[in-house]
Amino acid sequence: MIALYRPGASAIHRAPAGPKVLVFIAITLAITLSAHSAWMLPAAAVLVVAGYLIAGLGLGELAAQVVALRWLIVVMLVTQLVFLPALVALANTGRVVVVIALAALVTLTTRVPALLDATERTLAPLRRFGVNPAGVGLLLAMTITTIPVIAGLAGSIREAQRARGVPVRATTFVVPLLVLSLKHSDDLADALAARGVE
Amino acid sequence: MGSRIRVDIRDVTRIAVFAAIIAVLGIPGAIPVFGGAVPITAQTLGVMLAGAVLGRWRGAAAVAVFEALVFLGLPLLSGGRGGIGVFVGPSAGYLAGWIFGAFVIGAIVRAGTRRPTWWRTALGCVVGGVVVVYALGIPVQALVTQLSLAQTALSSTVFLPGDILKVVVTTLITLALWRAYPRAFGRGSEASALAERADSPVQQGANTP
Repeated sequence: MIALYRPGASAIHRAPAGPKVLVFIAITLAITLSAHSAWMLPAAAVLVVAGYLIAGLGLGELAAQVVALRWLIVVMLVTQLVFLPALVALANTGRVVVVIALAALVTLTTRVPALLDATERTLAPLRRFGVNPAGVGLLLAMTITTIPVIAGLAGSIREAQRARGVPVRATTFVVPLLVLSLKHSDDLADALAARGVE
Repeated sequence: MGSRIRVDIRDVTRIAVFAAIIAVLGIPGAIPVFGGAVPITAQTLGVMLAGAVLGRWRGAAAVAVFEALVFLGLPLLSGGRGGIGVFVGPSAGYLAGWIFGAFVIGAIVRAGTRRPTWWRTALGCVVGGVVVVYALGIPVQALVTQLSLAQTALSSTVFLPGDILKVVVTTLITLALWRAYPRAFGRGSEASALAERADSPVQQGANTP
Protein backbone atom coordinates (compact mmCIF):
# COMPACT_ATOMS: atom_id res chain seq x y z
CA MET A 1 0.00 0.00 0.00
CA ILE A 2 1.56 3.26 -1.11
CA ALA A 3 1.04 5.95 1.51
CA LEU A 4 1.50 9.67 1.03
CA TYR A 5 4.39 9.66 3.56
CA ARG A 6 7.80 11.07 2.48
CA PRO A 7 10.68 9.72 4.59
CA GLY A 8 12.85 12.21 6.43
CA ALA A 9 14.61 12.98 9.74
CA SER A 10 13.55 16.58 10.38
CA ALA A 11 12.14 17.89 13.66
CA ILE A 12 8.67 17.80 12.10
CA HIS A 13 9.16 14.15 11.08
CA ARG A 14 10.32 13.22 14.59
CA ALA A 15 7.51 15.04 16.42
CA PRO A 16 5.01 12.58 17.97
CA ALA A 17 2.00 11.99 15.73
CA GLY A 18 -0.78 12.80 18.20
CA PRO A 19 0.46 16.26 19.30
CA LYS A 20 1.36 17.06 15.67
CA VAL A 21 -2.25 16.53 14.61
CA LEU A 22 -3.49 18.57 17.61
CA VAL A 23 -1.19 21.50 16.73
CA PHE A 24 -2.46 21.33 13.14
CA ILE A 25 -6.10 21.42 14.31
CA ALA A 26 -5.33 24.43 16.54
CA ILE A 27 -3.65 26.35 13.68
CA THR A 28 -6.51 25.50 11.30
CA LEU A 29 -9.06 26.80 13.82
CA ALA A 30 -7.07 30.01 14.26
CA ILE A 31 -6.89 30.57 10.49
CA THR A 32 -10.60 29.86 10.02
CA LEU A 33 -11.77 32.01 12.96
CA SER A 34 -9.69 35.01 11.87
CA ALA A 35 -10.85 34.83 8.25
CA HIS A 36 -11.49 38.57 8.17
CA SER A 37 -8.09 39.68 9.48
CA ALA A 38 -5.80 41.00 6.73
CA TRP A 39 -2.66 39.70 8.47
CA MET A 40 -3.74 36.11 8.98
CA LEU A 41 -3.37 34.86 5.41
CA PRO A 42 0.22 36.16 4.80
CA ALA A 43 1.27 34.92 8.26
CA ALA A 44 -0.22 31.47 7.61
CA ALA A 45 1.42 31.34 4.18
CA VAL A 46 4.83 32.13 5.74
CA LEU A 47 4.19 29.40 8.32
CA VAL A 48 3.43 26.85 5.58
CA VAL A 49 6.58 27.75 3.58
CA ALA A 50 8.70 27.56 6.75
CA GLY A 51 7.15 24.19 7.62
CA TYR A 52 7.98 22.65 4.24
CA LEU A 53 11.56 24.01 4.43
CA ILE A 54 12.11 22.76 8.00
CA ALA A 55 10.74 19.32 7.05
CA GLY A 56 13.30 19.18 4.25
CA LEU A 57 10.54 18.71 1.69
CA GLY A 58 11.55 21.88 -0.12
CA LEU A 59 9.51 24.35 -2.11
CA GLY A 60 9.26 21.81 -4.96
CA GLU A 61 7.06 19.53 -2.83
CA LEU A 62 4.97 22.52 -1.71
CA ALA A 63 4.52 23.52 -5.36
CA ALA A 64 3.53 19.95 -6.21
CA GLN A 65 0.88 20.00 -3.45
CA VAL A 66 -0.53 23.30 -4.73
CA VAL A 67 -0.49 22.06 -8.34
CA ALA A 68 -2.45 19.01 -7.16
CA LEU A 69 -5.12 21.47 -5.98
CA ARG A 70 -5.23 23.33 -9.33
CA TRP A 71 -8.80 22.34 -10.24
CA LEU A 72 -10.07 23.15 -6.77
CA ILE A 73 -8.39 26.56 -7.02
CA VAL A 74 -9.84 27.25 -10.50
CA VAL A 75 -13.37 26.15 -9.58
CA MET A 76 -13.33 28.04 -6.25
CA LEU A 77 -11.97 31.22 -7.84
CA VAL A 78 -14.44 31.17 -10.72
CA THR A 79 -17.55 30.57 -8.57
CA GLN A 80 -16.36 33.14 -5.99
CA LEU A 81 -15.60 35.79 -8.64
CA VAL A 82 -19.18 35.49 -9.87
CA PHE A 83 -20.60 36.39 -6.46
CA LEU A 84 -17.87 38.30 -4.54
CA PRO A 85 -15.34 41.12 -5.03
CA ALA A 86 -12.02 39.96 -6.52
CA LEU A 87 -9.92 40.58 -3.39
CA VAL A 88 -12.30 38.63 -1.13
CA ALA A 89 -12.46 35.78 -3.65
CA LEU A 90 -8.64 35.61 -3.75
CA ALA A 91 -8.37 35.67 0.07
CA ASN A 92 -11.00 32.91 0.50
CA THR A 93 -9.28 30.68 -2.06
CA GLY A 94 -5.86 31.39 -0.57
CA ARG A 95 -7.08 30.45 2.91
CA VAL A 96 -8.39 27.06 1.74
CA VAL A 97 -5.14 26.35 -0.16
CA VAL A 98 -3.00 27.29 2.88
CA VAL A 99 -5.01 25.05 5.24
CA ILE A 100 -4.89 22.07 2.84
CA ALA A 101 -1.14 22.54 2.24
CA LEU A 102 -0.61 22.59 6.01
CA ALA A 103 -2.66 19.41 6.41
CA ALA A 104 -0.58 17.79 3.66
CA LEU A 105 2.55 18.69 5.65
CA VAL A 106 1.26 16.58 8.58
CA THR A 107 0.40 13.71 6.24
CA LEU A 108 3.74 13.90 4.37
CA THR A 109 5.82 13.78 7.56
CA THR A 110 3.94 11.15 9.59
CA ARG A 111 4.02 7.38 9.04
CA VAL A 112 0.64 5.60 8.88
CA PRO A 113 1.60 3.15 11.69
CA ALA A 114 2.48 6.11 13.95
CA LEU A 115 -0.94 7.62 13.28
CA LEU A 116 -2.57 4.22 13.91
CA ASP A 117 -0.83 4.06 17.32
CA ALA A 118 -1.87 7.64 18.08
CA THR A 119 -5.46 6.73 17.17
CA GLU A 120 -5.41 3.80 19.58
CA ARG A 121 -4.03 6.02 22.37
CA THR A 122 -6.62 8.73 21.65
CA LEU A 123 -9.41 6.16 21.90
CA ALA A 124 -8.11 4.76 25.20
CA PRO A 125 -10.37 6.97 27.40
CA LEU A 126 -13.39 5.58 25.52
CA ARG A 127 -12.63 2.12 26.94
CA ARG A 128 -15.05 2.72 29.82
CA PHE A 129 -17.86 3.17 27.25
CA GLY A 130 -17.14 -0.26 25.82
CA VAL A 131 -14.92 0.84 22.93
CA ASN A 132 -11.94 -1.46 22.39
CA PRO A 133 -9.00 0.66 21.08
CA ALA A 134 -6.92 -2.39 20.12
CA GLY A 135 -9.90 -3.78 18.22
CA VAL A 136 -10.27 -0.52 16.29
CA GLY A 137 -6.53 -0.63 15.50
CA LEU A 138 -6.84 -4.24 14.28
CA LEU A 139 -9.86 -3.32 12.13
CA LEU A 140 -7.95 -0.43 10.48
CA ALA A 141 -4.81 -2.53 9.93
CA MET A 142 -6.92 -5.40 8.54
CA THR A 143 -8.60 -3.05 6.06
CA ILE A 144 -5.21 -1.77 4.85
CA THR A 145 -4.08 -5.34 4.10
CA THR A 146 -7.45 -6.20 2.49
CA ILE A 147 -7.38 -3.38 -0.11
CA PRO A 148 -4.75 -5.07 -2.36
CA VAL A 149 -6.71 -8.35 -2.14
CA ILE A 150 -9.96 -6.70 -3.30
CA ALA A 151 -8.07 -4.76 -6.00
CA GLY A 152 -6.68 -8.12 -7.18
CA LEU A 153 -10.19 -9.62 -7.32
CA ALA A 154 -11.38 -6.59 -9.32
CA GLY A 155 -8.47 -7.04 -11.74
CA SER A 156 -9.15 -10.76 -12.33
CA ILE A 157 -12.91 -10.15 -12.85
CA ARG A 158 -12.12 -7.48 -15.43
CA GLU A 159 -9.66 -9.78 -17.23
CA ALA A 160 -12.08 -12.73 -17.21
CA GLN A 161 -14.87 -10.56 -18.62
CA ARG A 162 -12.62 -9.03 -21.25
CA ALA A 163 -11.54 -12.51 -22.36
CA ARG A 164 -15.20 -13.52 -22.81
CA GLY A 165 -16.25 -10.24 -24.39
CA VAL A 166 -18.72 -9.31 -21.62
CA PRO A 167 -19.69 -5.62 -22.09
CA VAL A 168 -18.26 -3.46 -19.31
CA ARG A 169 -21.19 -2.23 -17.23
CA ALA A 170 -21.39 -1.25 -13.58
CA THR A 171 -23.73 -4.14 -12.72
CA THR A 172 -21.82 -6.90 -14.52
CA PHE A 173 -18.61 -5.80 -12.80
CA VAL A 174 -19.72 -4.88 -9.27
CA VAL A 175 -22.01 -7.87 -8.54
CA PRO A 176 -19.28 -10.52 -8.98
CA LEU A 177 -16.84 -8.24 -7.13
CA LEU A 178 -19.24 -8.09 -4.15
CA VAL A 179 -19.84 -11.86 -4.16
CA LEU A 180 -16.12 -12.70 -4.28
CA SER A 181 -15.25 -10.03 -1.69
CA LEU A 182 -17.89 -11.16 0.80
CA LYS A 183 -16.75 -14.77 0.39
CA HIS A 184 -13.22 -13.54 1.11
CA SER A 185 -14.61 -11.77 4.19
CA ASP A 186 -16.03 -15.05 5.54
CA ASP A 187 -12.73 -16.88 4.85
CA LEU A 188 -10.90 -14.10 6.70
CA ALA A 189 -13.30 -14.47 9.65
CA ASP A 190 -12.74 -18.25 9.74
CA ALA A 191 -8.97 -17.72 9.66
CA LEU A 192 -9.14 -15.20 12.53
CA ALA A 193 -11.49 -17.41 14.57
CA ALA A 194 -9.13 -20.37 14.06
CA ARG A 195 -6.34 -18.24 15.52
CA GLY A 196 -8.43 -17.39 18.56
CA VAL A 197 -9.43 -13.80 17.73
CA GLU A 198 -12.84 -13.51 19.41
CA MET B 1 -10.95 -9.17 21.61
CA GLY B 2 -12.37 -8.81 25.08
CA SER B 3 -14.45 -5.67 24.75
CA ARG B 4 -17.77 -5.04 26.42
CA ILE B 5 -19.43 -4.57 23.05
CA ARG B 6 -19.69 -8.11 21.69
CA VAL B 7 -19.02 -8.06 17.97
CA ASP B 8 -19.08 -11.15 15.78
CA ILE B 9 -15.77 -11.54 13.95
CA ARG B 10 -17.72 -12.07 10.68
CA ASP B 11 -19.23 -8.61 11.06
CA VAL B 12 -15.75 -7.14 11.67
CA THR B 13 -14.29 -8.71 8.52
CA ARG B 14 -17.32 -7.58 6.48
CA ILE B 15 -16.80 -4.00 7.65
CA ALA B 16 -13.09 -4.22 6.71
CA VAL B 17 -13.81 -5.83 3.33
CA PHE B 18 -16.53 -3.31 2.44
CA ALA B 19 -14.25 -0.42 3.42
CA ALA B 20 -11.70 -1.95 1.03
CA ILE B 21 -14.37 -2.23 -1.71
CA ILE B 22 -15.14 1.50 -1.34
CA ALA B 23 -11.40 2.17 -1.72
CA VAL B 24 -11.10 -0.05 -4.82
CA LEU B 25 -14.18 1.53 -6.46
CA GLY B 26 -12.32 4.85 -6.26
CA ILE B 27 -9.48 3.53 -8.46
CA PRO B 28 -10.79 2.93 -12.00
CA GLY B 29 -11.14 6.49 -13.17
CA ALA B 30 -12.94 9.29 -11.41
CA ILE B 31 -15.15 11.33 -13.68
CA PRO B 32 -14.25 14.93 -12.89
CA VAL B 33 -17.11 17.39 -13.34
CA PHE B 34 -16.06 21.00 -13.91
CA GLY B 35 -12.45 19.95 -13.44
CA GLY B 36 -13.36 18.19 -10.20
CA ALA B 37 -13.48 20.31 -7.05
CA VAL B 38 -15.77 17.55 -5.75
CA PRO B 39 -15.43 14.77 -8.31
CA ILE B 40 -18.11 12.16 -8.96
CA THR B 41 -16.88 8.59 -8.92
CA ALA B 42 -17.90 5.02 -8.36
CA GLN B 43 -16.80 5.64 -4.77
CA THR B 44 -20.21 7.02 -3.74
CA LEU B 45 -21.66 3.91 -5.37
CA GLY B 46 -19.68 1.94 -2.79
CA VAL B 47 -21.08 4.13 -0.01
CA MET B 48 -24.67 3.49 -1.14
CA LEU B 49 -23.98 -0.25 -1.48
CA ALA B 50 -22.44 -0.39 2.01
CA GLY B 51 -25.71 0.84 3.56
CA ALA B 52 -27.95 -1.29 1.34
CA VAL B 53 -26.01 -4.55 1.73
CA LEU B 54 -24.57 -4.35 5.27
CA GLY B 55 -27.44 -2.46 6.93
CA ARG B 56 -27.27 0.75 8.93
CA TRP B 57 -24.67 0.08 11.68
CA ARG B 58 -22.20 -2.04 9.73
CA GLY B 59 -22.69 0.06 6.60
CA ALA B 60 -21.92 3.30 8.45
CA ALA B 61 -18.97 1.58 10.16
CA ALA B 62 -17.51 0.48 6.81
CA VAL B 63 -17.66 4.06 5.48
CA ALA B 64 -16.17 5.39 8.74
CA VAL B 65 -13.27 2.89 8.56
CA PHE B 66 -12.61 3.88 4.94
CA GLU B 67 -12.55 7.57 5.90
CA ALA B 68 -10.34 6.89 8.92
CA LEU B 69 -7.73 5.41 6.57
CA VAL B 70 -8.02 8.46 4.30
CA PHE B 71 -7.49 10.67 7.37
CA LEU B 72 -4.44 8.60 8.37
CA GLY B 73 -2.83 9.46 5.02
CA LEU B 74 -3.68 6.73 2.53
CA PRO B 75 -4.50 8.16 -0.93
CA LEU B 76 -7.79 6.23 -1.23
CA LEU B 77 -10.23 8.94 -2.28
CA SER B 78 -10.87 8.98 -6.02
CA GLY B 79 -8.07 10.71 -7.87
CA GLY B 80 -5.56 9.52 -5.27
CA ARG B 81 -6.48 12.15 -2.71
CA GLY B 82 -6.07 11.55 1.01
CA GLY B 83 -4.63 12.90 4.23
CA ILE B 84 -6.03 15.33 6.74
CA GLY B 85 -6.37 17.99 4.02
CA VAL B 86 -9.57 16.60 2.50
CA PHE B 87 -11.28 16.89 5.91
CA VAL B 88 -10.66 20.64 6.07
CA GLY B 89 -11.40 21.36 2.38
CA PRO B 90 -14.71 22.09 0.64
CA SER B 91 -15.71 18.39 0.47
CA ALA B 92 -15.43 17.77 4.25
CA GLY B 93 -19.22 17.93 4.77
CA TYR B 94 -19.86 15.45 1.98
CA LEU B 95 -17.46 12.98 3.63
CA ALA B 96 -19.40 13.28 6.91
CA GLY B 97 -22.60 12.94 4.89
CA TRP B 98 -21.42 9.59 3.49
CA ILE B 99 -21.32 8.07 6.99
CA PHE B 100 -24.79 9.31 8.01
CA GLY B 101 -26.07 8.58 4.49
CA ALA B 102 -24.98 4.92 4.66
CA PHE B 103 -26.76 4.63 8.01
CA VAL B 104 -30.01 6.11 6.63
CA ILE B 105 -29.82 3.91 3.50
CA GLY B 106 -29.40 0.82 5.68
CA ALA B 107 -32.29 1.86 7.92
CA ILE B 108 -34.67 2.36 4.97
CA VAL B 109 -33.59 -0.56 2.76
CA ARG B 110 -33.61 -3.06 5.63
CA ALA B 111 -36.64 -1.69 7.53
CA GLY B 112 -38.32 -4.69 9.13
CA THR B 113 -36.95 -7.20 6.63
CA ARG B 114 -33.72 -8.42 5.08
CA ARG B 115 -35.00 -8.83 1.57
CA PRO B 116 -34.39 -5.67 -0.48
CA THR B 117 -37.18 -4.45 -2.76
CA TRP B 118 -36.49 -2.12 -5.67
CA TRP B 119 -38.60 0.75 -4.35
CA ARG B 120 -37.18 0.64 -0.81
CA THR B 121 -33.62 0.47 -2.16
CA ALA B 122 -34.23 3.39 -4.54
CA LEU B 123 -35.99 5.43 -1.83
CA GLY B 124 -33.22 4.70 0.68
CA CYS B 125 -30.50 5.74 -1.77
CA VAL B 126 -32.31 8.96 -2.70
CA VAL B 127 -32.91 9.94 0.94
CA GLY B 128 -29.63 8.68 2.44
CA GLY B 129 -27.29 8.86 -0.53
CA VAL B 130 -28.45 12.18 -1.97
CA VAL B 131 -30.59 14.21 0.49
CA VAL B 132 -28.55 13.46 3.63
CA VAL B 133 -25.19 13.84 1.84
CA TYR B 134 -26.18 17.20 0.32
CA ALA B 135 -27.78 18.39 3.58
CA LEU B 136 -24.40 17.99 5.33
CA GLY B 137 -22.17 18.75 2.36
CA ILE B 138 -23.63 22.03 1.11
CA PRO B 139 -23.53 23.99 4.43
CA VAL B 140 -19.90 22.95 5.10
CA GLN B 141 -18.89 23.79 1.53
CA ALA B 142 -20.59 27.19 1.93
CA LEU B 143 -18.72 27.74 5.21
CA VAL B 144 -15.32 26.79 3.77
CA THR B 145 -15.71 28.76 0.54
CA GLN B 146 -17.54 31.69 2.26
CA LEU B 147 -20.31 31.63 -0.34
CA SER B 148 -24.01 31.71 0.56
CA LEU B 149 -26.03 28.48 0.93
CA ALA B 150 -28.12 29.26 -2.16
CA GLN B 151 -25.05 29.89 -4.32
CA THR B 152 -23.38 26.69 -3.11
CA ALA B 153 -26.57 24.65 -3.58
CA LEU B 154 -26.90 26.00 -7.12
CA SER B 155 -23.33 24.96 -8.01
CA SER B 156 -23.90 21.51 -6.47
CA THR B 157 -26.74 20.68 -8.85
CA VAL B 158 -24.16 19.62 -11.47
CA PHE B 159 -23.64 16.45 -9.40
CA LEU B 160 -27.35 15.54 -9.30
CA PRO B 161 -27.51 13.66 -12.65
CA GLY B 162 -24.53 11.50 -11.63
CA ASP B 163 -26.03 10.83 -8.21
CA ILE B 164 -29.41 9.85 -9.66
CA LEU B 165 -27.60 7.48 -12.04
CA LYS B 166 -25.84 5.95 -9.05
CA VAL B 167 -29.18 5.44 -7.26
CA VAL B 168 -30.39 3.44 -10.28
CA VAL B 169 -27.15 1.40 -10.51
CA THR B 170 -27.13 0.72 -6.73
CA THR B 171 -30.73 -0.54 -6.91
CA LEU B 172 -29.93 -2.86 -9.85
CA ILE B 173 -26.80 -4.19 -8.12
CA THR B 174 -28.54 -4.72 -4.75
CA LEU B 175 -31.37 -6.75 -6.32
CA ALA B 176 -28.93 -8.75 -8.49
CA LEU B 177 -26.77 -9.45 -5.41
CA TRP B 178 -29.83 -10.72 -3.51
CA ARG B 179 -30.50 -13.22 -6.32
CA ALA B 180 -26.84 -14.24 -6.68
CA TYR B 181 -25.74 -14.34 -3.02
CA PRO B 182 -28.45 -13.75 -0.38
CA ARG B 183 -25.94 -14.58 2.35
CA ALA B 184 -24.44 -11.15 1.73
CA PHE B 185 -27.42 -9.56 3.49
CA GLY B 186 -27.26 -11.63 6.69
CA ARG B 187 -25.66 -10.73 9.96
CA GLY B 188 -22.39 -12.59 10.29
CA SER B 189 -23.57 -15.19 12.78
CA GLU B 190 -26.87 -15.75 10.96
CA ALA B 191 -25.41 -15.80 7.49
CA SER B 192 -25.42 -19.56 7.01
CA ALA B 193 -28.93 -19.95 8.43
CA LEU B 194 -30.18 -17.18 6.17
CA ALA B 195 -28.91 -18.91 3.05
CA GLU B 196 -31.22 -21.84 3.78
CA ARG B 197 -34.20 -19.70 4.74
CA ALA B 198 -33.92 -17.42 1.74
CA ASP B 199 -37.20 -17.58 -0.15
CA SER B 200 -35.52 -16.56 -3.40
CA PRO B 201 -33.77 -19.41 -5.23
CA VAL B 202 -30.03 -18.99 -5.57
CA GLN B 203 -29.40 -18.38 -9.23
CA GLN B 204 -25.95 -19.34 -10.28
CA GLY B 205 -24.20 -18.04 -13.31
CA ALA B 206 -26.49 -15.14 -14.21
CA ASN B 207 -24.34 -12.51 -12.57
CA THR B 208 -21.02 -14.17 -11.95
CA PRO B 209 -18.06 -13.53 -14.27
